[in-house]
Amino acid sequence: MRRPSVILFAGLAVAVLAYCAIYYAGTANSCRMDPGQTPELAWLKQEFHLSDAEFTRISQAHEQYLAGCAERCHRIDLKNQALAQLLAATNNITPEIEKALAESALLRAECQKKMLQHFYEVSRTMPPEQGKRYLAWVQSKTVLTDSHSQMHH
Amino acid sequence: MKAENPMQSDEPLRQVLHKWKVDAKLPPRFQEQVWRRIERSEPQVQVPAWMLLFHRLTAALARPSLAVSYVTILLLAGLLAGYWQVRIARAHNDEALSSRYVQMVAPFQNPHR
Repeated sequence: MRRPSVILFAGLAVAVLAYCAIYYAGTANSCRMDPGQTPELAWLKQEFHLSDAEFTRISQAHEQYLAGCAERCHRIDLKNQALAQLLAATNNITPEIEKALAESALLRAECQKKMLQHFYEVSRTMPPEQGKRYLAWVQSKTVLTDSHSQMHH
Repeated sequence: MKAENPMQSDEPLRQVLHKWKVDAKLPPRFQEQVWRRIERSEPQVQVPAWMLLFHRLTAALARPSLAVSYVTILLLAGLLAGYWQVRIARAHNDEALSSRYVQMVAPFQNPHR
């Protein structure tokens, strides 16, 4: 009677151990990814099968792009603050508001242009097939996103 | 008042009973049915379902072939469940990291900004 009960519980223990072993083995790779490097870039390396050299070049380009991006975002924030002040002062579209809106749109267009340049640079650094896949994916998530429909949600 | 002897008064009845013979046959499996009715009338001990299952399982696991199958099936179930969970976790992780990458390279795309 004792031996079958031992087998009964041993079977359950084997199932739990197998589950934990597979889960640990499967997720250990993504856990190791986090420290040391930016997880987002580590994901990019894994997703688009980049070599170490390609990854290094993309990381450098990414850093340069982010530095410029932060500066452009700061300018957009300043422009938005100025626009907010103008909007609060009147209930009509004044020439100043028109000018501020146009400048804000220009800044956004510049941001998008720089962003697209960065995407092209990154895609050129990747192997051709992966570069094409990256471009299609990143454009669908950024410039080709339907921002108009997002505004209604 | 003198009491009447019951043995004397029952004497005719005893004689009649002595002569009486039962010719009717008993129904088939009469004895078995009687025992069943006795069993049913006795209060039954309620065994919990999990205890019953446990006893049946342990009884089955006494056979080596069944024991091996049982452990193998549970091992496979554990492996499959783990693999399935890893796939879900990886998909979630990939989704989160790809969203963070997009957010990083296109911060002004966010409508909540």
